[in-house]
Amino acid sequence: MQITKLKPLFYTVIVLLALVGSLMYFASIFSGILLILAAAVLYFVYYGLSVGKGASKALALSFLKSLLIPVIGVASALLIGGIIMAVTGYDPVTAYKALFYGGLVKNWSVSVLNAAPLIFTGLSIAFAFKAGLFNIGAEGQYYVGAVVATFLGLHFNMPALLSIPIIFLVAGLLAASYNFIPALLKVKTGAHEVITTMMFAQIARYLSSIFIRGMGGSSDGPHPYVTDPILKSNWLLKMKSIFPHANYRVHIGILIAIGMALFVQYILTRTKFGFEIRAVGQNKDAARGQGIKVGRNIFIALLFAGFLAGFSGVNQVLGLDHKLYENLNAGYGWDGISVALLASNNPIGVIFTSLLWGVLAAGGQYMSRTVQTPNSIVEIIKGIILFLIVAKYIYIHIGHKFKNKKKEEREAVK
Amino acid sequence: MGAKKEKRVVLETRHVKKQFPKVLANDDINMVLYEGEILSLLGENGAGKSTLMNVLYGLYKPTSGEILLEGEQVEFSSPKDAIRQGLGMVHQHFMLVDNLTVTENIILGSEPGKYDFIDYKTARKEVVSISEKYHLHVDPDEVIENLSVGVQQRVEILKALYRKARILILDEPTAVLTPQEVDELFEVVGRLREDGVSIIIITHKLEEVKAISDRVYILKRGKIVGERETSQVTKEDLANLMVGREVVLTVHKDEKEVSGEPILQLEDVVVKNQKGINALDGISLDVRPGEIVGIAGVDGNGQSELEEALVGLLKLESGRILYKGEDIAVLDTKQRRGKGVASVPADRQKFGLVLPMKVSENMVLGFHDEKPFVKGINLALDTIKTHSERLVEEYDIRTPGVEVPAGNLSGGNQQKVILARELSSDPDFLLVAQPTRGLDVGAIEYIHSQILKMREKNVGILLISLELEEIFSLSDRILVLYEGKIVKEFLPENTSDKEVGFYMTGGKKTAEDRA
Ligand SMILES: Nc1ncnc2c1ncn2[C@@H]1O[C@H](COP(=O)(O)OP(=O)(O)OP(=O)(O)O)[C@@H](O)[C@H]1O
Ligand SMILES: [Mg+2]
Repeated sequence: MQITKLKPLFYTVIVLLALVGSLMYFASIFSGILLILAAAVLYFVYYGLSVGKGASKALALSFLKSLLIPVIGVASALLIGGIIMAVTGYDPVTAYKALFYGGLVKNWSVSVLNAAPLIFTGLSIAFAFKAGLFNIGAEGQYYVGAVVATFLGLHFNMPALLSIPIIFLVAGLLAASYNFIPALLKVKTGAHEVITTMMFAQIARYLSSIFIRGMGGSSDGPHPYVTDPILKSNWLLKMKSIFPHANYRVHIGILIAIGMALFVQYILTRTKFGFEIRAVGQNKDAARGQGIKVGRNIFIALLFAGFLAGFSGVNQVLGLDHKLYENLNAGYGWDGISVALLASNNPIGVIFTSLLWGVLAAGGQYMSRTVQTPNSIVEIIKGIILFLIVAKYIYIHIGHKFKNKKKEEREAVK
Repeated sequence: MGAKKEKRVVLETRHVKKQFPKVLANDDINMVLYEGEILSLLGENGAGKSTLMNVLYGLYKPTSGEILLEGEQVEFSSPKDAIRQGLGMVHQHFMLVDNLTVTENIILGSEPGKYDFIDYKTARKEVVSISEKYHLHVDPDEVIENLSVGVQQRVEILKALYRKARILILDEPTAVLTPQEVDELFEVVGRLREDGVSIIIITHKLEEVKAISDRVYILKRGKIVGERETSQVTKEDLANLMVGREVVLTVHKDEKEVSGEPILQLEDVVVKNQKGINALDGISLDVRPGEIVGIAGVDGNGQSELEEALVGLLKLESGRILYKGEDIAVLDTKQRRGKGVASVPADRQKFGLVLPMKVSENMVLGFHDEKPFVKGINLALDTIKTHSERLVEEYDIRTPGVEVPAGNLSGGNQQKVILARELSSDPDFLLVAQPTRGLDVGAIEYIHSQILKMREKNVGILLISLELEEIFSLSDRILVLYEGKIVKEFLPENTSDKEVGFYMTGGKKTAEDRA
């Protein structure tokens, strides 16, 4: 009884610790991990005290269990990648050392920068999947978000505290409305969203060129065409302005992304809208039979997915590039499919799979630069991870066989 | 049946245990199956019958214990292994491919012929010869989706026989059959026994246990608690053994005067099915408060369309549905529910539940956006949880908790979740279709008494059931549905099941017309 009264206090402390901890960690101040751990421990303690003895242990156990399959997947992918390297004449040990030193320590800031946009697109795809939809065109909604953010970023002269939320919102809404026609076609005619959003993604990509050329700039430099830089007041806050030692490129976009993941998780598990989305995604007939409006939910889900993917584009423009390049194949929409699948569409899981993808990309670049192992090995590893995890049943099968074998062995010993 | 001692044991389990994450579904099961016998498994919902059969069939791996086939220990890693060794199983939910023909379905997975060429002709011939041998009449070239459930079941049995099954497992085969189809099935089963096939059959209907099987095991909470020769026991004995108390097999219904305005009226309702045929062909009926109107009929005569039209899933071609005097045909499902219309759908897994969602979530499905369960846009998770826990208690739903997916529950317990949700919603009109399909006798007793309690509370009830017994024991009035029309109306006390059955088949001679 006593302890539940302290709930708000506990939660405030936990959230604060976690927030400051991750802020530090993402700014490459690695001692931030201690604060994050402290928050986790505190949460377990509180959970144990409020729910009862053994509860925190069960919670920890179920948490570890949920990590099992992904960890085994990643580990075996690394193993296979290592074998491939060994066979093709590269030293897997030095390569992996470079990969992880680069991804987790040296260029951790790049990993973080890679992860943020992926979280948004991953959430977009995961959310749509929950409603039984495959938003394969997140790439297109990304472009819409980026173009709108650039346009507003160029012209919106207001205090950052006002302008940035407005830019996010407007760009997100326009990216959402970019899914309006696919959603309408889906609900009215049953046209499959894989086809329609994919086609719209192509349209967005080529259409963006036109807008980019309309937003000033020149074709100097390494890229064919670049817009003028957006107003400095519209830049996302840099970590450097909080922690002077932080990398100068890292911005708070990652925190916005994580906040968004928590928000999506909240919607799915705790609101009536999320409830309906899940019901529709898992059994349309039952949902309809119990009075849930299937069409409306599908419609809104596809729009919300567009909204989330749009944020990814805004994040890149306001946070990192501060301008928009023409003919740049961002690819966050496609990679978003991978991270969503990898996280089995769990919004919180998407944070971690995006970070993993980010680390592999940043580490891969570092590896190819320092120890001359081709970056493509990272692509191979990513492919294997995906294959292993998506084909989960393989594990189940292996587990089965493994158990049988164990049993045979035991029997033989007898 | 000769002396039992001479019989050969074909299948045996020793200390078989199956542990699911939170449920011990089978606990130290020792059972034997003799050659050429028909063995029944009887047990409450969630007792572990389907699990045990799935273990035998190689779908689940036992946690511990041994399975012996013809005296040899076997370990099936998949049904494929089991089939190869002569086992066949017909699941409660069929596993046929809808758009393939009967023959294609039967040979699927064990296609004859060399290399990649399927020898369709030989296959078809064999299918025809097996089906003639056992009188399993079915057109080998018909596409599955055009067949009735009863015929689909024949295809499932043929499929097992085609693979030379010596042991056949039937999980609740009669739950979906009409009385006539049940008779036919039992004839086939008898013929198989004469050929030396050993059969395990699961059913909740005690008279079927008596009628068909030689021996019966009674399961309770995962354990075998009894074994009987069926000739030595009565239905009442079996019920007591199974539930552990006296069970009233037919609930008592108080006489009741119903009067007043009908709460629900159908006026010349016409509804087309997907093929464009009038599935409901000008139906008029009315239900008054406190009255149970039973719709009797053979499956496929418009029951599902009637259900869907009432709930709002099917549009009317013409006619009106008056509820409390207002035409609700123009309203959607949600609006109708809001006005106090509740319904228990016949197809529980398709229309009633979202299997991957939690039991608690299914308990409020459709009410999740109404008052005690929602606060603003947020779900009131605590309220939902306590509400569900109360219903689980009240309806004796066997589940390790309300947080597990509904799909983990046994078939009968899934049904109870829907009943609990709909009956507790305090409706003014209740549509119940096949309310007790797949329920054990104890649960049927409880559900029937709940439905009668609703009648006491002046709820108007429309009962659609393929079980004449259920229709007779609950209804105040019986309407016979035939080819989309109400062809006859009876008072239960003035008629017999024979007479109703006569009109259910269109008033023609019943025995001979097998298509
Ligand atoms: N896949 C599963 N995961 C977890 N628990 C399960 C699973 N399948 C069944 N159970 C549990 O095992 C128990 C036995 O279920 P089973 O389906 O064997 O019952 P049954 O005797 O066939 O009941 P019914 O008559 O209702 O069909 C139930 O408590 C059920 O909740
Ligand atoms: Mg069962």
